[in-house]
Amino acid sequence: MAAVTRPQPELDDLPASSPPIDPWAQIVQGFDGNRSDLVPVLQRAQSLLGYLPPDAVRRVARWLRLSESEVFGVATFYAQFRFTPPGRHHVRICLGTACHVKGGVQMLETIQRRLGVGAGETTADGEYDVERVACLGCCALAPVLTLDEAIHGQMSVLKLQGILDAEASA
Amino acid sequence: MPIESRVRSRARRLRLEVDGHKVSVPAGTTVLYAAELAGVSIPSLCSHKELSPFGGCRLCAVDIAGIGGHPLACSTVVTDSMEVTTDTDGLRELRQEILQLILSEHPCSCIFCGEQDECRRSLTTIRKAGVTTGCRSCPNDGDCELQRVVEQVGITEIGYPITYRGLEAEHDDPFFDRDYNLCILCGRCVRVCNEVRGTSVLAFKYRGRKTLIGPAFGTSHIEAGCEFCGACVSVCPTGALAEKVSKWDGKADGVETSTCPFCGIGCRLEVAHKDGRLSSVSGALDSEINDGQLCVRGRFGLPEATHHYLRARQPMLRRGAYFRVANWDEALGEVAERLKQVAPDEFLMLVSSDLSNEGLFAAQRLVRSGLGANGVDSTAGASLPGGPGVWSRLFSLPVSIKALSEAETVIVAGLDSRFSFSVVGVQVRRAMREGARLVAVDARESNLARMADEWVRPEPGDEARALVEAVRKWPGGGTLAVVVGPRVFDCPGAGELVSRLETLAQDEGVTVVPLVHGANIRGALELGALGGVLPGPRPDEGRGLTLADMRAGKHPKVLYLVGEAPFTTRPDCDFVVAQDLYLPPFAVDAFLPAASFAEAEGTLTNLEGRVQELRAVERLPVGAVHGFALPDWKIFSDLAGRLGRSDLEYADAAAVRKTIRAEVSGFAAEGDRAPRRMAPAELPVEPAGDTVQGTGRFVLVPERASFRHRGIDLAGVVEGLGELHLEEGLRMNVADMTRLGVEPGGTVTVSLGSRRVAVAARPDPDCPRRAAYVSLIEAWGGVGGEAADPALELLSRLAARPVRVRISAGDRSPARKRGGAHVPGR
Ligand code: SF4
Ligand code: SF4
Ligand code: SF4
Ligand code: FES
Ligand code: FES
Repeated sequence: MAAVTRPQPELDDLPASSPPIDPWAQIVQGFDGNRSDLVPVLQRAQSLLGYLPPDAVRRVARWLRLSESEVFGVATFYAQFRFTPPGRHHVRICLGTACHVKGGVQMLETIQRRLGVGAGETTADGEYDVERVACLGCCALAPVLTLDEAIHGQMSVLKLQGILDAEASA
Repeated sequence: MPIESRVRSRARRLRLEVDGHKVSVPAGTTVLYAAELAGVSIPSLCSHKELSPFGGCRLCAVDIAGIGGHPLACSTVVTDSMEVTTDTDGLRELRQEILQLILSEHPCSCIFCGEQDECRRSLTTIRKAGVTTGCRSCPNDGDCELQRVVEQVGITEIGYPITYRGLEAEHDDPFFDRDYNLCILCGRCVRVCNEVRGTSVLAFKYRGRKTLIGPAFGTSHIEAGCEFCGACVSVCPTGALAEKVSKWDGKADGVETSTCPFCGIGCRLEVAHKDGRLSSVSGALDSEINDGQLCVRGRFGLPEATHHYLRARQPMLRRGAYFRVANWDEALGEVAERLKQVAPDEFLMLVSSDLSNEGLFAAQRLVRSGLGANGVDSTAGASLPGGPGVWSRLFSLPVSIKALSEAETVIVAGLDSRFSFSVVGVQVRRAMREGARLVAVDARESNLARMADEWVRPEPGDEARALVEAVRKWPGGGTLAVVVGPRVFDCPGAGELVSRLETLAQDEGVTVVPLVHGANIRGALELGALGGVLPGPRPDEGRGLTLADMRAGKHPKVLYLVGEAPFTTRPDCDFVVAQDLYLPPFAVDAFLPAASFAEAEGTLTNLEGRVQELRAVERLPVGAVHGFALPDWKIFSDLAGRLGRSDLEYADAAAVRKTIRAEVSGFAAEGDRAPRRMAPAELPVEPAGDTVQGTGRFVLVPERASFRHRGIDLAGVVEGLGELHLEEGLRMNVADMTRLGVEPGGTVTVSLGSRRVAVAARPDPDCPRRAAYVSLIEAWGGVGGEAADPALELLSRLAARPVRVRISAGDRSPARKRGGAHVPGR
């Protein structure tokens, strides 16, 4: 593709909503604006910002001369991107084959009932975010979930309730 | 790329056999299209002849000798001596299976309902579905491709469990509704938005069973940058996307090809009518101009602009304290009487440049020849930046929208094609798809700047000089199109720009597309409906009253307003006549109801000089209910008759055109819509100067308001346009507003020298820092007595060109200090 020359929008040219994107320079560092860099750029943005806020999608879109919808369409196709800010605690629920068979879905439903949010979402108070993963690599312990760094295996609805109660009173 | 051009561009022909029918097609043709040429119809849902193959629905599976499996006809390219079979038991079964799967996710009781025949006849329900299934959201236009395919494939029941996604239908955006429960994910809308419009508002979001069509983050279409061009609605094979205004009109009685009356591009339209009324509009496949595409005005604005409930449809006269309905005889008699008595230098007629050629010509002829007066003018004069002289030169250049779409280099200055001149934007993107390089010259981050290969961002209001530079850099050779938005001709250095464009256009490969608002502004210039211009155009040495005189306080005794009322209060005249679609927002002495573009035959001249036909699609009985409106030329003709000037009467629109041809050399022959070049003439000019005047940190850039039709603000009559708030307030960069401490919609005071105007400020993400954009209010008749924002009107008078200003937060205008209402006429 021919060289693309465009004045960069000034940082504050874009409307400020959600968190301001200061690490913009870091996000685009080493990339030269080719559309094929979309996924790596989004990955960098997510690793720096923790998630992909609308501003980031908008800036990445304008930088790569794509529409926001195209960027969002690609981003939502991959399970790795999240669009809500991460919570203080991170729950990952495994729905891989083994865990699915052993009742992973019930674990997810329990979480949903207790926290009021589903996979890919963050509770309104910012305490928990919930993620579903395909396999945590310890199928012998199925069904498995993790709370922050701790791995909880051979879960049941009751055990999960207990863990959440303990967290709530901690 | 549309099939036609794909077919045209390659010469080699291949022979193949489809179900035993022999056919020869150009290389590059798909099996689906080849079958169509052979007269064999293969069921398909996701393919569309304007769009790239997608292979999503898999209904078009066929058998091809030597190729295993069931290749897809829509995405397989023909090779020589191919043998295609489209109809075997196996294929039929396969298709039935696939279609059942598609339908299992689509509310489709309408398709299998036992009452189908009965229902089709009486149309008691909509597309023959029960309310409970949610299919009520389908328009009952009898135009469901899915139903047709079901008939073709021949299924009568579904062997799969039916799922209903239970999505909420989306009604919040203007112009069209979206019910994605009916969506079969064929991807046509995504492709048309992306490939044809280049807007990419729609995308496939999420994946698997959750896949959904729509913009990012579930934002509204307004926020997502949708042009509301309706292209997606036109290609959707189901009722998922449906136009709001015509949704319940039912199957149209007929369709006529006409011309869009809203801007100088002159897009060709397919106007559908029902029960004698205009129902809905879509783009005509005219390869010279719009190729099936339209902008929001043309696509969605026409029905409401024609049928607005405030349309004034009867002649009216003031009698003492009363303003009452009269018949044509009385009304014309009274107006003729006044015209007979008035001295020629005390008369002024203001004509809108949105009238048909017939109306414009008859208007100026009545004044010049019938009254011996010279007072004929138009706000079009003010809409032509730089003056008529500049535009007679610009229109003498080869202007071609088609050449633009085929150019190798495109330079666009000062144009955001989201809502205005969208069709030009579509052609720019088409050129880019074929490999053209786009250079955008714009201080604003316009939709075209966003996708340009090179974006030159000058200081606000300095696009003309930047464009001259950009053009100078073009190495020559190859083809070049230069598209210039109306704002640019107001910028300093515009004079040099015009000369530069003239030199450039001597090169064979160059086309220039100068854009200006006003549907028939080129016609108004050619036919002498402006101050200082005679038909031809030729300069008018005689001196008559002009709009500028009125602005300076010199009022005519008799003022005749035709299709525009550029005042918010009644001007100080003895007798004011208005001939229009709506009553002006102030008292007049006589009102003559004019026919709208949909009610009368006529012609419009587009920016390329094409004279194109307007068709009368509204056929309502004349009477108290539907009114007594007459075409503009007919009213002038009748008045001439009453003035005893039978030589100025015309039997029909064709007779007016005959007279035009006799007086204006080079006017198009009957039925000829080829582009024409104007002979440049020594007409009045207003040089734009060399620098931006004034002092202050901000540049105030005026833009000519574009959502006007016959003097009224279209946002006032077309509900959806009102919801877009396109031309309201002062538009500024968000960061500047934050720095000033102004909330969106908050008041700022603009100081130009010693004048101060308080006006509401709106954040505009495309606006550069230290700039403010405002829409000029030149002609605003208002509807239902509504007047334009007086602060904007004042700004329009003070800043006709980019000017340096100071901007501060809050209201510090003198009007406020006096503490009085600063809203005249309300
Ligand atoms: S109306 Fe036009 S711009 Fe908007 S989504 Fe549909 S195709 Fe895209
Ligand atoms: S909305 Fe219509 S055109 Fe778009 S994917 Fe769905 S069915 Fe196809
Ligand atoms: S671009 Fe102009 S002519 Fe075409 S549809 Fe829009 S307003 Fe009408
Ligand atoms: S499937 Fe859950 S840990 Fe492997
Ligand atoms: S038409 Fe070929 S896959 Fe849909």
